[in-house]
Amino acid sequence: MINFVINNIPVIAQKGESILQVARREGIYIPTMCYLAKTTPNASCRMCSVEAKGVDGFVLSCNTPPIEGLEVTTDSDALYKERQNIMKLYNVNHPLQCGVCDKSGECELQNKTLEFSVAEQSFAAKEQKRKKKQWGVLSYDPYLCILCEKCTAVCNEVVGAEALYIKPGGYKSAIDNDYAQCIQCGECIAVCPVGAMASSDFKYNSNAWELKKVPSACAHCSSACSLNYEVKHVGVGAHESEKIIYRVTNEHDHDSLCGAGRFGFDFENRVTAKDEKAFSNVLKAFEYAKTIRFSSMITNEEAYILQKLKEKHGYRLINDEARAYQKFIQAYSLACGNSLYSANLDLISKSDYAVTLGCSISSDNPMVRFALAQAVKRNKAYVAMMHPIEDESIRNIVSQHFKHEVGSEEGLLAMLCECFVNVEGKKEHQDFFDSLDGGYISGESSIGEEEFELLAGKKNRKKAPVLILGADLYAHPRAENIAKMAGVLDRYSDFSVLIIPSDTNTLGVSLICELDEEALSPVIAYNAFGDTVLSALGEGDLDMPALNQQEGTFTSIDKKVVPLNAALPYQGYELSDISNKLGVKCVNVIDFTSKLPHEKGYKAIAFDDLPNYYLNSGIQVRGYLLDAKEVKEEISLEEISDIKEFNGTVIYSCNPNMQFNLFTDKAEIIVDKALLKGSKQFAQAAKIKGGENVEFMLDGKLLSRKFQIDNKLKGMIAYNANFDLGQRSSLYRYQQIQLERVQ
Amino acid sequence: MNNEQFNNRNVTDGYYLVDIEDYPTDGWGKFKRVVKRTFRVELFVGLWVVLREMIKFDIHTVSYPAEKMPIGPRYRAVHEMKRLWESDTERCIGCGLCEKICISNCIRMDTKIDENSRKVVSEYSINLGRCIFCGYCAEVCPELAITHGGEYENASEQREHFIMFEDMLTPIDKMKDGKQLEFEGFGAITPHEDERVKKTPLAY
Repeated sequence: MINFVINNIPVIAQKGESILQVARREGIYIPTMCYLAKTTPNASCRMCSVEAKGVDGFVLSCNTPPIEGLEVTTDSDALYKERQNIMKLYNVNHPLQCGVCDKSGECELQNKTLEFSVAEQSFAAKEQKRKKKQWGVLSYDPYLCILCEKCTAVCNEVVGAEALYIKPGGYKSAIDNDYAQCIQCGECIAVCPVGAMASSDFKYNSNAWELKKVPSACAHCSSACSLNYEVKHVGVGAHESEKIIYRVTNEHDHDSLCGAGRFGFDFENRVTAKDEKAFSNVLKAFEYAKTIRFSSMITNEEAYILQKLKEKHGYRLINDEARAYQKFIQAYSLACGNSLYSANLDLISKSDYAVTLGCSISSDNPMVRFALAQAVKRNKAYVAMMHPIEDESIRNIVSQHFKHEVGSEEGLLAMLCECFVNVEGKKEHQDFFDSLDGGYISGESSIGEEEFELLAGKKNRKKAPVLILGADLYAHPRAENIAKMAGVLDRYSDFSVLIIPSDTNTLGVSLICELDEEALSPVIAYNAFGDTVLSALGEGDLDMPALNQQEGTFTSIDKKVVPLNAALPYQGYELSDISNKLGVKCVNVIDFTSKLPHEKGYKAIAFDDLPNYYLNSGIQVRGYLLDAKEVKEEISLEEISDIKEFNGTVIYSCNPNMQFNLFTDKAEIIVDKALLKGSKQFAQAAKIKGGENVEFMLDGKLLSRKFQIDNKLKGMIAYNANFDLGQRSSLYRYQQIQLERVQ
Repeated sequence: MNNEQFNNRNVTDGYYLVDIEDYPTDGWGKFKRVVKRTFRVELFVGLWVVLREMIKFDIHTVSYPAEKMPIGPRYRAVHEMKRLWESDTERCIGCGLCEKICISNCIRMDTKIDENSRKVVSEYSINLGRCIFCGYCAEVCPELAITHGGEYENASEQREHFIMFEDMLTPIDKMKDGKQLEFEGFGAITPHEDERVKKTPLAY
C-alpha cells in the first residue's frame, strides 16, 4: 500500500500498480494513445506524461509505479503543450479522410486531436509507398496506422498467436502479419485506435454513431464473453423494427473476444409472423411425446422451463453431452467437497503453472487459450499440455507437450495425483496410492516416469498452479474415477481445477435439469434431432428464436450467471408460449431468472437487476457468481483400469477454431468447412490423398468428409470437425474408424 | 467582404417622419373627427386609385402556376445532389453527416465498399414529408454535395413522400452541358474562398 497524491487528491496504490492505473481507478483523467489496459504498457506515445514534484521533466504514468508521498499533477500548461505537440506529430501525413473512415466518431486520434485543439497539420514528411493488405477478416491500411503497437501487443500477449509484428523501416515501418499464425480472432481490429485495422466485412458499411449497442453474452462457447451486438435498420426502405446486426464490439480495453464471437453474429432466425398451424401441431406432439431432447445452446430459463415440464408431465430430458458433464461434475464434487470446480479464467491468466489434460487448447475454448497465453507472457507460467496430438499453432503458449497414448488419461491423472497430492490426501486414499503402478502407466501412456519428475520439478516455487480438464474426459469410459481424482487433487493440493463446460450452457443445464439416460419415442427435439423439431436454425417443425433474439441468462465457465439481451426482434412463438399452454406459466421467459434452483447455487435475483458494466479499474461487474455449496460424502478412488490400445485409423472430434456449432456455420464471415484434417503421416497410413472424399461410420451414422492434409498437424490422429452434426454427442472424442474412399 | 455599408447606423438619411395628426383624447375631439371624415368622402379617394390603376393595366399579380416568379439562389427547396465538375461523378462520399445532423430525422442512407475499395452510397432517401427544409444538411456537407434546389412544388397525396438519391442527382446530360447550378445558400463557399484555404503541408 502506497499513499500518494494526484492533483491534490490523496490516493492509495496497491503494490505493482502504475500511477495511470491508480488514476483511472480513482476516475482521474490522464490522456493516452498507446495504452491498453489489458496488456503491459509499451510506452510509445508519451501522452500519459505527468509532473511529479521534485522530479525534473515529465514522468510516464503508464509504467511508473508511485512512491510513498509522491505529488503528481496530471494537467498543467506545460503538459498541455507537450501533449499538443505529440498530437501534431501523430497527425503528420495522416490522411484527411475522416469522412469515409469507419473509425470516425470513435477514433482515438480524432478525439485527442480535437481535445488538444490541433486545427491543422503543421508538419509533413515525404510520403512512403505502402501497401494496403487484407488478411482474411482483417484489412490493414498502413496510411492510417499510427504505430501505437496495440495490435501487436494483444496478438502476442493476450491471444498468444504472435502473428502481428512491426516491419521496421523508420518512417516506412508498418504492421505485418505472419498469416499462418493468425487465428482470425479480430482482437487487433478491436483495439486499433484508428481505422488502420478494420474488419473486411464491416468496412464502409455503417458509421459508428448510427449503430445501437445491445450488451449481451456470446452464445458460442461456455466463456459467454461480454459483447455488444451493434444493430441498425436494414437499408433505407425498412421499418424501424427490421434490424440486423452490423458488427460485434466489446470492452476491448479490458476484455477479449475470439473470432467466433466477433464474427459469428448473424445466426438469427428471421421469423416475421406466428405460424399458428405449426404451433398447434407441436402442441399436439407434446401430448404424445415421452422425451424432450435438447442441446446446451439454451438459456438457463429455458432449461428451467424444460425441467418444470418434466416435473409436470413426466417427459424424459435427454442431453447426452450435458449429462456426461453433469456426472463428471457430480463425481468431482463428491471427492472435492465443493459443488463447483475451483478455478476460473481470471485465475488461469494469473497462474504460474498450468497442466491441461483432455482438451484441445487451440479450439475447445478460446478464452482458456487466451488466459493461458496471458499467464505465459505475464507470469512466465509453465504450461504443460497433456494430449495425444501435437498442435503447432499453440507452440508459443505450451511450454511442454506431453504426448500420451489415446485412452490413458485416467492413468495420467493418477500420476499427477501421485506427484502433487499432499500427505494428508495420500493417507486418506492410501489404498489407491499404494496400488498405483507407475511403471505400468508410464509404459502404456508413453510418458516416462522421468517426465513426471520433470513436471513435478517445474512446480517448485510456483504459487498458483491450475489444472485444466477438457471434454475428452467427460465421455471417457472411466470418467467417474477421473473426476474423483481431479476432486482429490483439488482438495489435497494447492491446485485449482477448471472443468471446461463442453458447450455454451452445459454447466447451467447440468445444474438445472435432471437429465435422463435413455430416450423413449416419440421425441420432441429442441435444436436437436427427433420426431418433432423445434429449431432456431429455421429448419424444424416450429421456429424458435436464436440466442441473439432472446433474453435470458447463461451459466458461464467462470461459474457466473450472465445476462443475455435480445438484439433482434422475433415475431414467432417461443418456448414460453408452449410452456404456457402446458401449464408452466410465465409472461416472459425471464420471470424464471430469480427462480433458478437456489440449492444449486443460483440466487433470487431478477433478470432486470443483473448488473452488466465495467468499473473504471477494468473490473467486470456482470451477473452474479454461483454460490458453491459444501458437499460432505466419503468417497473412495477406484483402482486404475487397464489402458486399452487404440490402433488403426483414429480420429479426434475437434472443430476448426472459429466454428463451434451450426450457428457459427450459419454466420456469413466464418467460412471454415467441416473437413477431416490429418497430417501427411496420417494420409500415408490411411492411404488417402488431400482433397479426396472419404466415408466412415461414426456413432452408428455414415459420415462423408473431404480429407485435407494440414501441415501444422503431426502424428497419426486426424481431426474430424463435428460442428455441422447438430447436437454434440457424448461419444469419447477419439474413435477408431474404417475409412473408405468415395469418388 | 466589405462591411462598411452596414456600419453606418445613421438612419436619418433619406427618411422622413410621416405627418400624423394626434389622436383625439376627449369626446368633443372624437365627434369633430367623425364629422370631418363623413363629409370629405374619403371612400371615393380609394376607389379612384383602384380605377386609375385598372385603366393603366399595370398588373403585378403572377398567374401561378402558368407563370412563376424567379427564385433566389439561396432558397431552400427540394434537395439536389451535385456532381464534380472535373469528372462528372457524384460528389457524395457517404460520410453520413447529413444523416446525423438532420433534426427531423428524415435522411436515411446506406453505404458499402465498391469494387475500387471506395466508400459509396448504395441507398439514400429523404422523407420530404418530414423535412423542415432547415438547410443543416447542406451546411454540414463537407463536399458541397447535398444542396437545396429551387424545386418547391412537392405536394403529394400522402404525408410520406420520399425522394431518392438518383432523383436528386444532377442528370448527366445536364452536367455535360455545363448547366449544373451551384448553391449559394448557407454552407456554400463564399467569394474569395481560394485565398482563405490553407494547404496541407504535404511534401509531395
